[in-house]
Amino acid sequence: MRKVSSAAKAWDRVFRVLAAIGAASPAVFLVLIAAIVSVESIPTLRFMGVHFLTETRWDMGNLYGAMTHKNGVTAPAGASYGALVFIVGTLLSSIIALVVAVPVSIGTALILAYRVRGPLGFLLNILVELLAGIPSVVIGLWGILVLVPWIANSFAPFLKSILGWIPFFGGQTGTGYSLLASGMVLAMMIVPIITATTRDLLEQVPVLAREGGLGIGMTSWEVVRYVSLPYIREGFIGAVALGWGRAMGETMAVLMVSGNATNILPQNLYSPISTMAAFIANQLDSAETDASGMAVHALSELALLLLAITLVTNLIARWLVRPRRREGVITS
Amino acid sequence: MKLRSKWLAGLAAVAAVGVVAGCGTSNSSSSAQNTASGNTSQQAASVATVTLSETGSSLLYPLFNAQWIPAYHKLHPDVEMTAASTGSGTGISDAIAGTVDIGASDAYMADAQIQQHPDMLNIPVAISAQQIMYNLPGVKGHLHLNGQVLAAIYEGKIQYWDDAKIKALNPGVKLPHQVIKPVVRSDGSGDTFLFTQYLSKSSSEWSQNYGYGTTISWPGLQTEIGAKGNQGVVAALAKTPYSVGYVGISWLDKAVQQGLGYAALENAAGKYVLPTSATIQAAAQAGVKNVPADERISLIDEPGANSYPIINFEYLIVKDDQPNASKAEALKSFLEWAINPSEGNNSKFLTPVHFLPLPTSVHAKSEAQIEKIKG
Repeated sequence: MRKVSSAAKAWDRVFRVLAAIGAASPAVFLVLIAAIVSVESIPTLRFMGVHFLTETRWDMGNLYGAMTHKNGVTAPAGASYGALVFIVGTLLSSIIALVVAVPVSIGTALILAYRVRGPLGFLLNILVELLAGIPSVVIGLWGILVLVPWIANSFAPFLKSILGWIPFFGGQTGTGYSLLASGMVLAMMIVPIITATTRDLLEQVPVLAREGGLGIGMTSWEVVRYVSLPYIREGFIGAVALGWGRAMGETMAVLMVSGNATNILPQNLYSPISTMAAFIANQLDSAETDASGMAVHALSELALLLLAITLVTNLIARWLVRPRRREGVITS
Repeated sequence: MKLRSKWLAGLAAVAAVGVVAGCGTSNSSSSAQNTASGNTSQQAASVATVTLSETGSSLLYPLFNAQWIPAYHKLHPDVEMTAASTGSGTGISDAIAGTVDIGASDAYMADAQIQQHPDMLNIPVAISAQQIMYNLPGVKGHLHLNGQVLAAIYEGKIQYWDDAKIKALNPGVKLPHQVIKPVVRSDGSGDTFLFTQYLSKSSSEWSQNYGYGTTISWPGLQTEIGAKGNQGVVAALAKTPYSVGYVGISWLDKAVQQGLGYAALENAAGKYVLPTSATIQAAAQAGVKNVPADERISLIDEPGANSYPIINFEYLIVKDDQPNASKAEALKSFLEWAINPSEGNNSKFLTPVHFLPLPTSVHAKSEAQIEKIKG
């Protein structure tokens, strides 16, 4: 047996400390960020109370005028912070993104996992991964130059003409800077995430089960529907939750195509919106000129809310994919 | 064993760097003492360099980064300057916090902020302006617009281009029956400050309900587009027929190239004027007599038949109590240089970024403020 030198023991201790720091850091950062954002938002919690969630008007007040005092905190006269517009914008745009992205991702993942092989498969896989690597500001630029005018001139009038009888699809078709444009750029950004995860899951479905399905006369679609999809169900929900979280937190691309509406809820799919993340990015600079500091506290509360919503969707996804007894599903 | 020697080598290298750095500083101070009686060029070379940092206005950033810093560094190699484009609000709060030496801002500090931080100086260094631009296919020439009509458009009270109130200002112009799409800046901006100040001066209703600021709580309109940065506004205007928006003067040429028109605005004398260097200078000359000692003043709607109504000072925000004498000296001499008409305020620096020099009578007030800086 090798004799352990004292130097080796010392290095082992150093390694342990470094590993402990490394392992603790994600938790420490999360707790620190949550704590700072929470503490920063206390003045707004006192100033606005529950109205922060229910009102649509966001107004820093007259920064060049007098201050008012309410509930023991100070803010410029006329200040009122209602985040409902941004909550609705964030949820609706990310849900539209999921509605568009999920079918596309499943289709792409099926083709990548089961149909294409060799150089073509290699190329397609690379392309999906490259799509994930496009910086969001580039997608936003494409959105301004191509997507927004196309929605304004062609797509929105077309949607209205065939689906206009459904509420939310009718009404003014607007400027192209819209809920629809936001949902579509977000869909582009989350398709690669969901596709890559789903492809890996599909590749893990046992070949024996799929071949068995084909052997008893199932069509390709039936194999996918009754063998593959049930097998990957839980992992797939996780992938969708991952995409949803990304869509709600995405800032730059949405900021560029959403129209950044304030003080007004979307009337239809073609209305301008604003999301929590984009609004924080837009407003922080002006908020810093508020001598009372309330504007920064209000943005902190918005950040806290975004953090909480992302956490809740994550927990729901975890609950959905919790381990349980499989019934009627073929396992390997 | 091999692994351990690598670690040791790394440690040794770190220690060596530390020792060298320590020696470096002690060497330079001792050489400074040695050469105190020696020749001056050697002395200048051994004086520790001073760094001046700037953050703030994206409008002032090109002036700092591409014009002033290279030119000033040539004259004063002992002063290292850095600049960053962060937005005016961040520039002001960085300067207050003392994380930077100079905060650049398109808007002056509010009274409430000055009361909290009476040691902050707002020093004008140049004059800027803003034009109202529109995308109206088929309409040639410059539309006539005024503050009341613009306020009504942005409030949603005037919804179509052929509204009677717009027609009344533009007899003979064939205006389309199309919905007006107003464009605003979604990010905090000196341009929003200027534009909303113009609307507030023109319309008491606007002043009461919306006021002015680098960001305001806009009337929520379905037709409105919020775009980020001047480039975002120009892109939104260019891609959206029948839109209207406000754009900083430095973007005028680029926006006109993209097919946008810009308006002649009604000034305090009731005349319609275009933003040119003559009309901006005229407005600045008219405004200077009201400039107070602390130089925080709006230059909107200055009197005079030839005055363009939307102009402003570009400010550098600095603390009057600096941490040490050498920093205070460096800051003072840079600011003096920047406002000197034959140096930093020369048109060879200002013209590329579409600013105009300070009027001479403002110069003295800026100098008096710079004199307050102490180490």
